Amino acid sequence: MMKLWHLFPRNALQRWLPSQNESSLLVAIVVALAFTAIVDTNHTYFFRPLESLRDIARNSAMLGIFSLGAAVVIIAGGIDLSSGSMIALSGTVCSVTMLALAPTEMMAFQPVGWVIVLIAILASLVTGFFVGTLHTWLITVIRLPPFVATLATLVGLRSFARALCESSTSVLTPTKSAVINVADPVFKAVRDNVWFSVGTFLVLACITWIILSRTVLGRHLKALGGNEQASRLAGIHTDNVKWFAYCFGAMTAALAGLFYVANESVAAPVNQGRGHELNAIAAAVVGGCSLSGGVGTIPGTVLGALFLRVVIDAVSKIIKTGADVYEGLIVGGVVVLAVTFAQGMSKVQHDRRILPGSLGLCTIPVLALIAGSLAAMTTGIGSGLAAGFTALIALLSLRIYETRRSSQGV
Amino acid sequence: MEVLPDVAVAMKGITKQFPGVVALDSVTLHVRRGEVHALCGENGAGKSTLMKILSGVYQPDAGELQISGKKVNFQGTRDAEVAGVAIIHQELELVEELSVAANIFLGREPRKMFGLLNDNIAKEKSQSLLTLLEASISPEEKTGTLRVGDQQLVEIAKALSLNASIIVMDEPTSALTDSEVERLERTINTLRQQGCTILYISHKMDEVFRLADQITVLRDGRLVCTVDKTETSPAEVAGWMVGRNIEKHRFRRQETIGKCLLEVKNLSLTSKDSSQRGRLHNVSFRVHAGEVLGIAGLMGAGRTEVLETIFGATHGRWQGEILLSGKSVRFNHPSEACDAGLVMVPEDRKRLGVFANFNVNENISLCSLFRTIRNGFLSRQVEESLVAQGIHQIGIKTPSQATRITQLSGGNQQKCIISRWLLTKPKILLLDDPTRGIDVGAKADLYTLINSLCQAGMAVVLTSSELPELLGLADRFIVMNEGKVTGEFSHDEATEKKLMAAATLG
Repeated sequence: MMKLWHLFPRNALQRWLPSQNESSLLVAIVVALAFTAIVDTNHTYFFRPLESLRDIARNSAMLGIFSLGAAVVIIAGGIDLSSGSMIALSGTVCSVTMLALAPTEMMAFQPVGWVIVLIAILASLVTGFFVGTLHTWLITVIRLPPFVATLATLVGLRSFARALCESSTSVLTPTKSAVINVADPVFKAVRDNVWFSVGTFLVLACITWIILSRTVLGRHLKALGGNEQASRLAGIHTDNVKWFAYCFGAMTAALAGLFYVANESVAAPVNQGRGHELNAIAAAVVGGCSLSGGVGTIPGTVLGALFLRVVIDAVSKIIKTGADVYEGLIVGGVVVLAVTFAQGMSKVQHDRRILPGSLGLCTIPVLALIAGSLAAMTTGIGSGLAAGFTALIALLSLRIYETRRSSQGV
Repeated sequence: MEVLPDVAVAMKGITKQFPGVVALDSVTLHVRRGEVHALCGENGAGKSTLMKILSGVYQPDAGELQISGKKVNFQGTRDAEVAGVAIIHQELELVEELSVAANIFLGREPRKMFGLLNDNIAKEKSQSLLTLLEASISPEEKTGTLRVGDQQLVEIAKALSLNASIIVMDEPTSALTDSEVERLERTINTLRQQGCTILYISHKMDEVFRLADQITVLRDGRLVCTVDKTETSPAEVAGWMVGRNIEKHRFRRQETIGKCLLEVKNLSLTSKDSSQRGRLHNVSFRVHAGEVLGIAGLMGAGRTEVLETIFGATHGRWQGEILLSGKSVRFNHPSEACDAGLVMVPEDRKRLGVFANFNVNENISLCSLFRTIRNGFLSRQVEESLVAQGIHQIGIKTPSQATRITQLSGGNQQKCIISRWLLTKPKILLLDDPTRGIDVGAKADLYTLINSLCQAGMAVVLTSSELPELLGLADRFIVMNEGKVTGEFSHDEATEKKLMAAATLG
């Protein structure tokens, strides 16, 4: 038994060092930043470093806040598809509360007073709690799969937010409106001072990290995600643990929704946060959370969110068009690559072929088309054709090489 | 090797290694055409591995395989099927959502014009196969709704539809009722008359001696012998299986039996789905401090349901009374049972016990986390010293606490789960088939552990699918069949025969 004791210090040390996934994410972030700094023809990172840093920090913090929620839900073995709509609903609830309590100030773009702001913020967070509770009820009592339950609220909550916005504006203001402008100085201050969002994000990340690594609840969350039936038989109140997870997920999204409103000075339920739930899930997955549950870390999720935003920023700097157009492509690509490198390489190596059979044959033009059309859209028809053909020829040669090698191998 | 014309299967010098263990060490086996050949051996003796090689699931590292005198080299089950070898795995491989006919022809669906499915032909053919097997199943029924015995017949029909002349059955009777076992035996005899060669894995001696023509015994991956049934006896075969004469070695305990800790009165359970499985009728028993109560019964007899109901883990509705040290209790959640000092080690280790995402430390400390809190947070040091105690107490062999539990052997994983519960200091321990699928050494450790726990005054309720084990460990026995208690025996009265008779009582 003495041997075990000798091993403890090393284990303790290992826990404090970043895992392989986290260190490779750090390296990837640095590489992406350095690459952008050099390749960007305006050299924005050199000439306006503070401004660039502020943009990345704000965007990462906003994504990071509800990525933490997504990570906790995923670690607990569930999924929350509704956070984008929760963002819209939270912003709407916050603005409608302020509009209801101080209609004249809101319409005149005047300060509404910090008490009302506080009430509005609380109302949003409570809404998050309600949505989390609804999710848990649908999942544990009605026994819907988490994917279905949160898919329903993904669609439903945004619609609810729009209806809420329109009906309350029609009652409280002269005209029905799909947006509510928010001009209170508290929100302006949050918008103009990036430290509010970054600070909130970091504090929240620390709290989440401590919950996951240093509390019974955190251990139970991981146990639930690892093996739900065994958790129940080990005396864990799995329904309560789920309740926490889904409320945490919805409330972090509600918090993020407040920052969205502050940042854009408007609550716009039609498209605020639309599709962002997938960015949060992507950040968690890139950060090492396994969608089958039980596995994942908070530092990894923080780095995952940062990495996603750095890459999105890099592309917008390099190709100079709006980042939002290419955001989905980037997130999709990053998820595929990151997860492939983190977990999948061993599987690929095991099969030894990445273009096997007729599936492989059909994948060749697909990949070549993606490469060609992306190059064509960003840099012009000529280079698009060139890139497409190069990719086609490269993949075909890879296919021929693989086929030959596997026929020799057997 | 001389190839006799009537040899259906010849396996010569088959060796198979898995990381860390030699599963088969130069095993040679000859099976004559048209015979029922039984393969006997303890868990881990290599029976299933050998049959998986024969059916193309695994490829041997060394050795030669001949089917009907022809050397073959199976790269997958498909190759084996073409050569006429079909295997019916212990865990059935049916698509529960599909109909019986669809399962029988899965992957070889009869087609008509334009590649459309021809369900009529599939149904007709399935019907004729099922009739041959005396199965009163409709080909259109959904497979998932069938009883296990009927599902097995579907697998056999599938094997027959492949025109398999060699059929391997891996412990086919482990989940069957008596009448189903009889029907299966009739089926096997019919198949034999039609010229099928059947390899039959079982460690139930009575079945083996009723059915088999030849018996091959494996032990620790090596061939012990192949004999004609008429030349041997069940006791001799059992002796070969374990490598020693199995005397009923029983633990001699001092008479430390104390007051009654757990009493169950008229426990009845109606399960959520209306199937026959998972029902209990008026189950009553008592367990005293320092005593092991053994619950015997076939799979599906209700042993697990009894333990789950007491532990508060059942989903069904139940009536009756449970008394803990004389006080009536009703646990709605396992945590309540645990708080009251009653814990359960569940039956299916992989599915219900182990957290594969956790290391050894986290797996063991899970139920006593509240004891490791210092200043409001979990303390790694306290947790590690607590787990070190647990590891030491029952001798878990692990490189370190940070080792992933999945890297341990099955026996050590099971010890981790038992240790998890022992750290909560229970008074009553429910063990549901704790030695299933673990090696002989770990079994012996568990026996000693159970014995010492009893001597320390714990009450233990134990189920086991192996009667000799149960006979060796328990002080008293109840036997269950189809949710009812069909027999109760004291330590001295109980024999394997009596328990088995009660377990199969109609």
